[in-house]
Amino acid sequence: MDTFIQLVIDGLSLGSIYAALALAIVLVNQSTGLINFAQGAMAVLSAYIAYVFIGWGLPPIIAILCSIVVSFGIGAVVERLLIRRFEQGEPNTAVVVTIGLLTLVTGICGWLWGYNNRQFPSLFPLTTVDVFGAVISVRSLGTTLVIIAIMVLLQLLFLGTKLGLALRAVSVNPHSAALSGLPVGRLLMVGWGLAAGLGAVAGALVAPQLTLTPGMMDTALVYALAAVIIGGLNSPLGAVVAAWGIGVLENLAAVYVPFIGHDLKIAVPFVILFVVLLLRPQGLFGRKVVVRV
Amino acid sequence: MNRLTKLWNAPWARWVLAGAVVILLVALPLMLPVFANQTLTRVGVYAVAVLGLNIIMGYTGQVMLGQIFFLGVGAYVTAYGVVNDWNIVVVFLAACLIPGIVGLVLALAAARLGGLAIAMVTIALPIIGVPLAKRLSDLTGGSQGTSARFSSAPEWTGLDNDQWQYYIVIGIAAVAFVLAYNLVRGRYGRALAIVRDNESVARSMGISPYRYKVLAFTVASIFGGVSGFLYMVAVQYTSPETMSFHHSISLLAAMVVGGAASIVGSLIGGAYYVLVPQVTNAIDPTITAISQGIILVAVLFLLPGGIVSLPRVIRRLLRRRDRGTAPTQTTPPPARDAAPQAEGPETERQGQA
Repeated sequence: MDTFIQLVIDGLSLGSIYAALALAIVLVNQSTGLINFAQGAMAVLSAYIAYVFIGWGLPPIIAILCSIVVSFGIGAVVERLLIRRFEQGEPNTAVVVTIGLLTLVTGICGWLWGYNNRQFPSLFPLTTVDVFGAVISVRSLGTTLVIIAIMVLLQLLFLGTKLGLALRAVSVNPHSAALSGLPVGRLLMVGWGLAAGLGAVAGALVAPQLTLTPGMMDTALVYALAAVIIGGLNSPLGAVVAAWGIGVLENLAAVYVPFIGHDLKIAVPFVILFVVLLLRPQGLFGRKVVVRV
Repeated sequence: MNRLTKLWNAPWARWVLAGAVVILLVALPLMLPVFANQTLTRVGVYAVAVLGLNIIMGYTGQVMLGQIFFLGVGAYVTAYGVVNDWNIVVVFLAACLIPGIVGLVLALAAARLGGLAIAMVTIALPIIGVPLAKRLSDLTGGSQGTSARFSSAPEWTGLDNDQWQYYIVIGIAAVAFVLAYNLVRGRYGRALAIVRDNESVARSMGISPYRYKVLAFTVASIFGGVSGFLYMVAVQYTSPETMSFHHSISLLAAMVVGGAASIVGSLIGGAYYVLVPQVTNAIDPTITAISQGIILVAVLFLLPGGIVSLPRVIRRLLRRRDRGTAPTQTTPPPARDAAPQAEGPETERQGQA
């Protein structure tokens, strides 16, 4: 039982990291209809930026906050200079652009900081606490709580502020939004910036565990994409729930199903995804999109 | 210029050209050094993989990020068959069929969700494939990889190993290219194009987008398996690293840089995949990834049709300059009498509109 609780909490913390990335992907998809395959790579870049700030002697929490701000800027600039040009064109081309961005950003990280693993300090103390007799690391608890807090903040932003309303308007119908005087282009930049900021959080949370390398987020990206498909592309809540479910299930499967073990646990979300696609192709929480011809 | 076009359109000129190319391809390895032969052989290997990718992505418009996985499966099947002394023909058929079946099953699920589901599912393939190959060590040799020496030149040919491998790879690759050329020109090619351009129109004409996506995906994975077989002919060794994630991304980059929806573009893509990393690695290995990203983004910005569209773009620029102050031409010129090569997706697309 102890192991079980421990596994569930660790799974939730892993799932939270996937959830942050999945939320970023949903955010971009909602505003521009794109899947940003570079979201993970951009998160790695943010983690490297935080790493540089820490190298300058800033305390980790300040460094991470600064990197979130810088990442917001990077996301907005990427949207303006790179993605804007392909938004109206064929969706496939735009996706290939994000894949080019993935290669480019990974390449930049590798070129600037090399391919060796680098230690990234943890935000949380590496101690453990006793909860109902189970030994739980503070890091796992902290990661989960941070993500929950961010989700509440995002929800407040989208439902309670004028900016949030404008962002939602642009994602629902950009043409009408433009006609009612909203600066659509600038709002899209804000959407991409927010997504990049979320990615920065994910990067900073996962970097201490995985150590910093340019390809750090490749696996997390696959998990996040699986969460997005399972939860439904148009449902932020679904993506988060699915990410948590994936994190917990794969942790349990790794321990309790001997064939899977720790090396093959990445196959778990894939199998779930397969089943979901066959039974409910729009995702567990997603709405069916009806296209008018 | 005009006379050249006329000459090109004459059937006998094409046959002469094709004959010259064949003679060149046959004679080349007898004169080139070993390293050049090996490089050309690898170009052939990856050209087939890019060709498969082009069928699903270029011609059918479904972004696919896991082509390298099928190459890996093909290579492992080949290695397993050779180690267990199967007949080489059986090995080849298995290297086509098994990746094809895997691809079919995957496509049946992935193609159900429209849009980018295929991309999001297939990106997982190389990431799962690597630990899977390590785990199934009885079949794959684990992280050590497995080697299979079966492509040494037989005595009677009097050829060196590299020349023999070159002939096998180029021969099979040529057949694959002819088959793909016929596929995308015929009834199926037209169906795939309309699925790419407008699924609703396709459906209204009685063409099931789902079925054709599954078909194209399966064909792509079979081509992936063939390229895996060729990979084993050329390299004689495979390990989980063969199908690592960044190789898969590079393959996609190679397809876009070569030219999407183009048979010749696939060939250029194969050459790009092999040659450019060789050059950048010689300069400085740390710039390989970044240069690949820069090239891909630059091509998308400046030359969305890939390298294969370069002659067309240049000709259009020249014509615009000839006209001087004439208004900018926005519609592409009629492709039939202007196309310098047998490349036809443009022609076909117009035929459909």
